Amino acid sequence: MNTILRIAAEEWRYWLRSYLALGGVLVFLLLVLSSSILTKLRIDAETHVRTHQQSAAEQTFLDQPNRHPHRMVHYGHYIFRAPAPLAIFDPGLDAVTGQAIFLEGHRQNTPTFSESAASPDLGGLAHLTPALIYQLFGALVIILLGHGTIVREREAGAITPLLSLGITGNTLLLGKALALLVFILLLLLPLAITSVFALSAGETPLAVLVLFGVYLVYLCLWGAIVLGFSAIMRKRGVVLAALTGLWFVMTLVLPSVAVNITTTTVTVPGKIETDLAMLTDRRKLGDGHNAGDPAFAKLRASLLEKYDAKRVEELPVNFRGLVAMESEQKLTQLLNEYAEARIDGENRQQRLLEKWGWLSPSLAIAFVSRAIAGTDLMHYHHFQRDAENLRFSFVQGLNRAHAEKLSYQDDINRNKDEASWQRARVDASNWQVLDAYQFKAASLTERLGNASSSIGVLTVWFLAMLCLLIWSGWRIKP
Amino acid sequence: MVSRDAMPFDLEWLEDQAMSARKTCLNEIRFATRDRTLGLWMAVVLMLSTLSVGSGLVEVRHQLKTIENLLGADQQDRVAESSKLNDWGSAAYYSFHLTYAPPSEFAYAAIGQRDTQPWKHRIRMLALEGQIYEQDVINPSVALIGRFDFSFLASFVLPLVLIILLYDLKASERTAGRYNLLESMANRAESLWRLRAVIRVSAISVCLITPMILAGWFARTGFSTLLLASCAVLLYAAFWGVVCYGFSAWRKSGSVILISLIGCWVLTAVVIPAATRLLVDRLIPVPSGAEILMSQREAVNDAWDLPKDVTMDAFFKRHPQWSNYQPVQSSFEWQWYYAFQQVGDQKTEQLTNAYRNGRLQRDYTASWISLLAPPSLLERTLQSLAKTDLSAHLAYEKEVRSFHRALREFYYPKFFLNEAFDKAALANRPEFVAGK
Repeated sequence: MNTILRIAAEEWRYWLRSYLALGGVLVFLLLVLSSSILTKLRIDAETHVRTHQQSAAEQTFLDQPNRHPHRMVHYGHYIFRAPAPLAIFDPGLDAVTGQAIFLEGHRQNTPTFSESAASPDLGGLAHLTPALIYQLFGALVIILLGHGTIVREREAGAITPLLSLGITGNTLLLGKALALLVFILLLLLPLAITSVFALSAGETPLAVLVLFGVYLVYLCLWGAIVLGFSAIMRKRGVVLAALTGLWFVMTLVLPSVAVNITTTTVTVPGKIETDLAMLTDRRKLGDGHNAGDPAFAKLRASLLEKYDAKRVEELPVNFRGLVAMESEQKLTQLLNEYAEARIDGENRQQRLLEKWGWLSPSLAIAFVSRAIAGTDLMHYHHFQRDAENLRFSFVQGLNRAHAEKLSYQDDINRNKDEASWQRARVDASNWQVLDAYQFKAASLTERLGNASSSIGVLTVWFLAMLCLLIWSGWRIKP
Repeated sequence: MVSRDAMPFDLEWLEDQAMSARKTCLNEIRFATRDRTLGLWMAVVLMLSTLSVGSGLVEVRHQLKTIENLLGADQQDRVAESSKLNDWGSAAYYSFHLTYAPPSEFAYAAIGQRDTQPWKHRIRMLALEGQIYEQDVINPSVALIGRFDFSFLASFVLPLVLIILLYDLKASERTAGRYNLLESMANRAESLWRLRAVIRVSAISVCLITPMILAGWFARTGFSTLLLASCAVLLYAAFWGVVCYGFSAWRKSGSVILISLIGCWVLTAVVIPAATRLLVDRLIPVPSGAEILMSQREAVNDAWDLPKDVTMDAFFKRHPQWSNYQPVQSSFEWQWYYAFQQVGDQKTEQLTNAYRNGRLQRDYTASWISLLAPPSLLERTLQSLAKTDLSAHLAYEKEVRSFHRALREFYYPKFFLNEAFDKAALANRPEFVAGK
């Protein structure tokens, strides 16, 4: 044990004397810290703005004057997605997805205006986040420090004397691994600090702990690769070149290649295509603005029978309002079918991408990190489903007011003259059907469930690399 | 044939020199063919380049196919809707028109902004601002990682390959103890290293560019585009070659040189672009898109409650030629309806222009700063050759706007001159032509 500690301490002493190692680590820490601070400031500002916009939108809706209820259906409402607490570490899909949805009758709009749409394009790596820095450059800085650990001793001819002193290859390796582990823990310090902020913003301690754990596993996995290479290969330059090659293939090339192959294997039709495909189905449902549409003949007949009336004018409720309700309900069903098909397609693409984690651990950690931070595809879909539920509930609330609070006579005569135009209105108190909204990240169990497959991939990677390390320890011979 | 003996001395010396230079050159090439590391990376680059342009071609074909399908479905939809039309107003209300920007012949090499900015819209004669920012959803999980296209390979991956191949040009010989020997053998050692570097850079560049050119031939890309793109990539490869060569002359160990070179890459490919983006976004404010959308919606919605004259006056200010039309005696008329749609657009004009100019200004500033970040510079160059950059997107936006204007110009006379509805005249509606 003492020997292991001594070897580790010796390695640290070597690093502290090496300007290059110190410089590299300093640059990394600087990068992580500045990015953490900037991301936190940005996310805090966004949270503030979006929460404010959300309550402003709600207030504007409630403040609308007396109107025809269907006018309010088209007036619509906005919902905003406030970032999850851990978004200060991994903003995830935030950069490429819109953060606001306009909600109105008869339509499901998509989130609009992503942040990246207005930013200049400077290449795929210009969107630096603390998470991305760990995923890409954490590995690189471990390569920088760790590649020489064993091969350096070999080049200096120190292996033979060490082994003759009775130090086994595995002891040597353990000592170096310990040194690297301490270094990795140091690298994770900024993540720990960020986590404290996330905790104070309401994140559960367990989520933060898991996030810390998976990054620890990820970096240790790279540490094992680096040590293994350093133990097996004979020349320092070659070790470094091989590790650098491996690094950029795994972190830069494979993830994008995976995207190319995934998008050609599973295609998800765009919005216009879906809209056009849906039109045929939509025409069958009838136009909810036109109560005379033959599609509503059945509704008319059943209502007349129920209230024992001969004409719709005799009904105690506004037939046009009921038609609006019925058609919104059927239309929503149809829209949801198509929306779920799209969500399903996106999930299939995601699962295919996740499989590529078997080739590239940095892809696996990216999925785990986003899932736990609450900024992944599942949360994006959650937001869209929330939006749809909110939309349907207030639109139907307004349609109910249309059916119950507005007389049929006033309604059909609304365009006759200015006075009837004024009469065809309901009281503004009916706008209270709108619910307040706040986006919440899913429960930790749900998040973990979503991350489980990638966590599995990461664990297997880690164990495999550990085996590689032990195997290479046996191979350290004079 | 002049006999050798008859030749003046200095000529013979020159000939010898040329012979030996050719020999060194051939020797080096022979050496390179036996170099397994070089061979491996050549194969990797060739494979990646083929993959990138291959999937680029597939994507371009997919986009073209989508446009073709949409054009058909769009046409069908207008026919199907025609039964609903009984006046000019409903004709304008129910008829959507597909607009699109087809991918260029070089788009396979750089998909660029086509993944993040809309390139197709279905437009009708309602307020345009509510429609033009509508974004075709792309799986964000996919969009975040980004595509592996040729521009990414050339700009970000190529330098790393060159770094790995060139960093130990001298250091490895130095540690192997052959450095002095080689230096004494070759006439000019410097030229030997240079030759070796040139051979490696050219070998990798050929592997990189060949698939791109072949794909260009397949996609009927213009010769000048291919030439410019090839020159840009070669120049870029040469730039990194020179950088690597400069560093490799440093009398340090190979790993120190390699780490410093990777440092250069991180600085130019990541740190400078990221800092630029932050800085540019901070320095050049752009109104938030949601702001445009909301104020447009408010304007259109408020119009329902405003006295009609307010809307019509605002409309006639822009279109005085219709100001003496005969209003209909009803609380609803299409003239007024479309007038407030137009007024809604007018109200957000300033914001829209600010949004557009702000984005242009940001892009322009970024293009200057990217001179400091060669990877961004090359990627932007390839994107502009492929017409997948911001200015191409804004050009498309302009086309959509002018098409929408043409629609209004078609319908306004019908509304305001109270022309009788004539279904046959709908055939004369303007049609969207891409690239006009």
